[in-house]
Amino acid sequence: MRILLSRIRENFLGSKLDVILSITGALFIYFILSTLISFILNSDWTLILVNRKLMLTGLMPEEEIWRAWTIFSLTTILMTTSIAFWFKINIKSSIFYILLLLIPLLIFTTKNTLLYVLFIMILSIVFFYLGYRSKNSELKNIVSRIIMISWIILLPICFLILNILDGPKMTLWGGFMINLILAAIAIFAGFPLGILLALGRASSYKLIKLISTLYIEVIRGAPLVAWLLLAWFVLPKFLPNLFGLSDLNIVVRAMIVLSLFASAYIAEVIRGGLQSIPKGQEEASFALGMNSISNTIFIVLPQAIRIVIPTIVSTFIAIFKDTSLVFILAITDLLRIGRLIPEQQQAFFGKSIESLAVVALLFWVVSLVLSQISRTIEKKLNI
Amino acid sequence: MKNKVSKKKISVEAIGVTKSFGDFQALKGITANIYEGEVVVVFGPSGSGKSTFIRTINGLEEHNSGEITVNGIPLNDDVKNRDAIRGQVGMVFQQFNLFPHLSVLRNITLAPQKVKKLSKSESEKLAMSLLERVGIPEQAKKYPAQLSGGQQQRVAIARALAMQPKIMLFDEPTSALDPEMIKEVLDVMIELAQSGMTMICVTHEMGFAREVADRFLFFDEGLIVEEGTPEHFFNNPKEERTKLFLSQIL
Ligand SMILES: Nc1ncnc2c1ncn2[C@@H]1O[C@H](COP(=O)(O)OP(=O)(O)OP(=O)(O)O)[C@@H](O)[C@H]1O
Ligand SMILES: [Mg+2]
Repeated sequence: MRILLSRIRENFLGSKLDVILSITGALFIYFILSTLISFILNSDWTLILVNRKLMLTGLMPEEEIWRAWTIFSLTTILMTTSIAFWFKINIKSSIFYILLLLIPLLIFTTKNTLLYVLFIMILSIVFFYLGYRSKNSELKNIVSRIIMISWIILLPICFLILNILDGPKMTLWGGFMINLILAAIAIFAGFPLGILLALGRASSYKLIKLISTLYIEVIRGAPLVAWLLLAWFVLPKFLPNLFGLSDLNIVVRAMIVLSLFASAYIAEVIRGGLQSIPKGQEEASFALGMNSISNTIFIVLPQAIRIVIPTIVSTFIAIFKDTSLVFILAITDLLRIGRLIPEQQQAFFGKSIESLAVVALLFWVVSLVLSQISRTIEKKLNI
Repeated sequence: MKNKVSKKKISVEAIGVTKSFGDFQALKGITANIYEGEVVVVFGPSGSGKSTFIRTINGLEEHNSGEITVNGIPLNDDVKNRDAIRGQVGMVFQQFNLFPHLSVLRNITLAPQKVKKLSKSESEKLAMSLLERVGIPEQAKKYPAQLSGGQQQRVAIARALAMQPKIMLFDEPTSALDPEMIKEVLDVMIELAQSGMTMICVTHEMGFAREVADRFLFFDEGLIVEEGTPEHFFNNPKEERTKLFLSQIL
């Protein structure tokens, strides 16, 4: 107790300025917390209970919900396994991840999906433990490879799960699921495309350089909203059935626009990384007789990407949040649902704050996980 | 101990090589023959074009005019020739230029695997034997940043040797090193010289030069001002500029 008191005195009450800052800070924190708590206590959270299905999957029929939960389970388990296996995180950050995971589970779990939650929990814990414990280096290599491949095929598998056994129409996809899917597509497609564009822009071939530069600058020159609207109104008129583009449903168009948009930003980030690699690296690989393709793939790119991981993850987070703009295309994503509930459901008229708070919380959870992972990678690579 | 060079077969032939950076002419016509098995030390004041010269030999700098021929292969616009020359010429840099994201072993095995298509096990065996040769086999699994400067430079030498070059270029390999590490690198270079490797070394380590060099080239302002045996340079250099420079560094 004594120690605690002296600590407090040292850290918070050292000088006059410290005292003033501490008191102001305490008052401020008190004000925020009390507002928050009274808000949580005085609000009617049945809004969530009634609308959890809508928030998770939008207008998808009730009997199709298993698809969303299967995807959610697979992703979560793969994520926990990778985190335990690759990062060997400590107890403190494990608790952090578990708490974050609990938020969406709390919001979305219903009686019917309890089984899924159990499944996720048990398998996650088992894999987490196995990943944490694994020592054998031979086995580790194999597992590491399996995890890698799983991440690569995860997205196609998700699509499979959404479509097999007469899945719902794509235009019925919605809710938080559509935000996650759109973000995943934009990132997975935009990342390789972004790398190619960055290399193109750094290329010594004038034409390739020109095309890449033009692409990047044009895409970045207009806001995402403009590109989405273009995809909705203009594209069908200008491309009459060429490549079947005018038939494409709105979700696919959103995917394309988001991927192209993401690629331009990712390209610029990676270009920054490429420029920061010292000339000596290239000279060393050329002196060893490597050609410029080997040099790019094995020497320059790996180093460039490492350097820009924090910025790339920021870009990913931005893209993820940008997916909420697809409401413009009348896709019922999480944000749109969050706005529709207090407008259309009589029981919850005017309860915008509650509704939007939940939306914000969900976006926040995913963003936080992403940035935490990036910080762990950074630490691991020691850059 | 010097190599007994049978001064017959020419390894590197440079005739009137020039190189400009913008308006500035870094090489003003370099003519020199380097014979097989010969150890040539290049020295001279800063900015005299020493680095530029040895970098033109493996095409890291493109020369503007003149001729460079390496083991009979002319270095010209033909990319095939340039690649063939790079396959026979190894280079060690002042700043080591190791690949920081790869382990020591991988630094050495990468080029043999990608360029010479050696298998993983072949290249690793080769790499380990080279690490033995430079005296640091126990560092194979580490990353460059975990090694001392001297160890890094020895890895860089092993990396260049892994391509089994016929000629080695050294650009001030010890001038970025702390004094206590210079010797370990020079020892490796001496061993290499004694094994009969053709070497062109830019260096101001005169002790090393006296011990292994067959010939000195003194550069100043983009020209070879004077050339000759170490004895010639240490005992009675002809040119005023050479005398002045030697008096400064000795
Ligand atoms: N890439 C370049 N662009 C412009 N000028 C250059 C370039 N490389 C070298 N130079 C110039 O060419 C001249 C010769 O450079 P070089 O590096 O060959 O000298 P050096 O003899 O190796 O000197 P040092 O002992 O300092 O290494 C210098 O004046 C240098 O400024
Ligand atoms: Mg130099």
